[in-house]
Amino acid sequence: MNNKDTNQDTGLERIATGVPGLDEVLKGGFFEGAVYIVRGTPGAGKTILANQICFQHARQGKRALFVTLLAENHARMLQHLEQMSFYDGRLIPKYVYYISAFRVLEENGLKGMMDLLRREMRAHEATILILDGLIAVEETSTSDREFRKFIHELQAHAATAGCCTLLLTNGRRGEYHPEHTMVDGLITLEDVPYGKRRQRELEVRKFRGSSSLRGRHPFQITNDGLVVHPRPESRFLRNAGVESDRQISTGVEQLDRMTQGGLIADTSTLLLGASGSGKTTLGMAFLQESSKQQPGLHFGFYESPQRLIANAQLLGIDLQSLVTAGHLEVLWRPPIERILDSLGNELIDAVRRRKVRRLFIDGWGGFAAAAETKERLGPFFAAVCNELRSLNVTTVCAVETDNLIGPDMRLPIEGISAITENMIMLRFSEYQGRLRRLISIMKIRGGGFDHSLREFDIGPQGLRFLDTFENAEAALSGFAKHAEHASTRRPASSRAPIKKKPAKGRRAPARRRGKA
Amino acid sequence: MQTVLVVDDEFGVAEVLQSILEDEGYRVVTAINGKQALARLGEFKPDLIMLDYMMPIMDGTHTLKAIRNDAALASIPVIMMSSLDEAAVRETCTGYNSFLRKPFRAVAVLNLVAQLLGSPS
Repeated sequence: MNNKDTNQDTGLERIATGVPGLDEVLKGGFFEGAVYIVRGTPGAGKTILANQICFQHARQGKRALFVTLLAENHARMLQHLEQMSFYDGRLIPKYVYYISAFRVLEENGLKGMMDLLRREMRAHEATILILDGLIAVEETSTSDREFRKFIHELQAHAATAGCCTLLLTNGRRGEYHPEHTMVDGLITLEDVPYGKRRQRELEVRKFRGSSSLRGRHPFQITNDGLVVHPRPESRFLRNAGVESDRQISTGVEQLDRMTQGGLIADTSTLLLGASGSGKTTLGMAFLQESSKQQPGLHFGFYESPQRLIANAQLLGIDLQSLVTAGHLEVLWRPPIERILDSLGNELIDAVRRRKVRRLFIDGWGGFAAAAETKERLGPFFAAVCNELRSLNVTTVCAVETDNLIGPDMRLPIEGISAITENMIMLRFSEYQGRLRRLISIMKIRGGGFDHSLREFDIGPQGLRFLDTFENAEAALSGFAKHAEHASTRRPASSRAPIKKKPAKGRRAPARRRGKA
Repeated sequence: MQTVLVVDDEFGVAEVLQSILEDEGYRVVTAINGKQALARLGEFKPDLIMLDYMMPIMDGTHTLKAIRNDAALASIPVIMMSSLDEAAVRETCTGYNSFLRKPFRAVAVLNLVAQLLGSPS
């Protein structure tokens, strides 16, 4: 973000924070001459955030003044900051200047303190002022009125000097904070427990002069300082635009036939099925169609790129040459403790970076494991799908279902069927003493499709579609049986393999031949 | 009794230095910025000045310059103190006798003071 961005409504210049994600949340940064309160419990990250903003400002040749009031002593604070990549000691004292005002506050009260701030702002030509420890001012005030007067006067001086001011406080007084009504903005930093894990969250509770991304955005404190992950539900709000009627191949000839020409472009498809039912294989077949015109992305949680490519090779799917040619990217995010918002943003960023058109997510469970609450998954997925649609991405997402076999198919995300356009179900069924894989289409929004249940097989030659289960009953119960009145099975020669290039002379497995 | 003038804006730093030095037998006077320090120096002449580099109103660099430009004070040894490393301080400030990096240990303070003043008399 350019430091000289100006808000067209207010005419005020923005001061970019340089904190990854925060300027997007603030839609460009703070305003010059405005006063903001940053509230958070001890250890929430206020001091690091403020220093990060100061050094970012200083790197642009601008000056920041950091005033402490009974906060961490400067020497200790700088020792800790030295570990951070944003810290640059060469910028002190010319561009970032640290002073303590506690003694002045003790000896000369609020008036002495105000005089000091005003004088130092001017002396150092500061365009950012940090006051770390507002609580000390509050405690020195003899009344709320006196404290409000101090804030009011500080606002006037900050505006006159064009100095953006951040007041850091732990806000331990409870919910009543008269000063919040006066300042130009309020940002809270919290460390929120979710079961046994905790997540740091930032919220812009008030921001005069501009809108901001609403809600609580997770953030991390890294060696690079704070990294904010704007919440996808607030980030991706644009209209998805005109619906496409173009179709793109699923990478499986028979599935293209079942969908009457392939998946409708820019839609999302769920591949539902138990572990081992063939979701990843179908996804890889879909990505096999990646090309210069249709760049592909595999966004996975469970298999490393090396293993994924090797497994694909065993099935006759050559992903390596697509990766080498730059037509396919394989991103692996091992399912350790992660932040849902970060994953969503990384996915969208990867899509934007390469203008991805074919996306396979393997699988939904990786996002679910990162979610702090189950309730977030539906809105999160809706926002991500909407953005992918807007970016003209055709998405296939593997969703693992609980039951390995049987008629029940519980969807792991509430309302998911309303979010995605297409649903394809993969199941196991025991039939004639053998566990078989079945595929059926549950939904293709706005298009016709083959409602039949098809058996398919995964082997060294890839995916093969076999017969429909027209001669079996109760296939969906998981325990199919031969129908008494079933018509004669179609001859094996009519069974088309599903790979794009049918294997010559392929026949149905010997065990099945002639046994129907 | 040898007297040390400690000049630091930060709450806690001057107090800690005062107690370390007084326990050792030095007399200590404090000031919270350069301007206040110069006012104190108009009233008495200390044997040593411990001066913080970054302070409001008047910083260590300007205070040291004023001291060195005053014939009556120019010979007083000065220990410059900072959280920054000395190389950074030297870019804008010269003329001090010793440097003390913050945060410091009591033993380092006492060794430095003893080097410049000898044992407290």
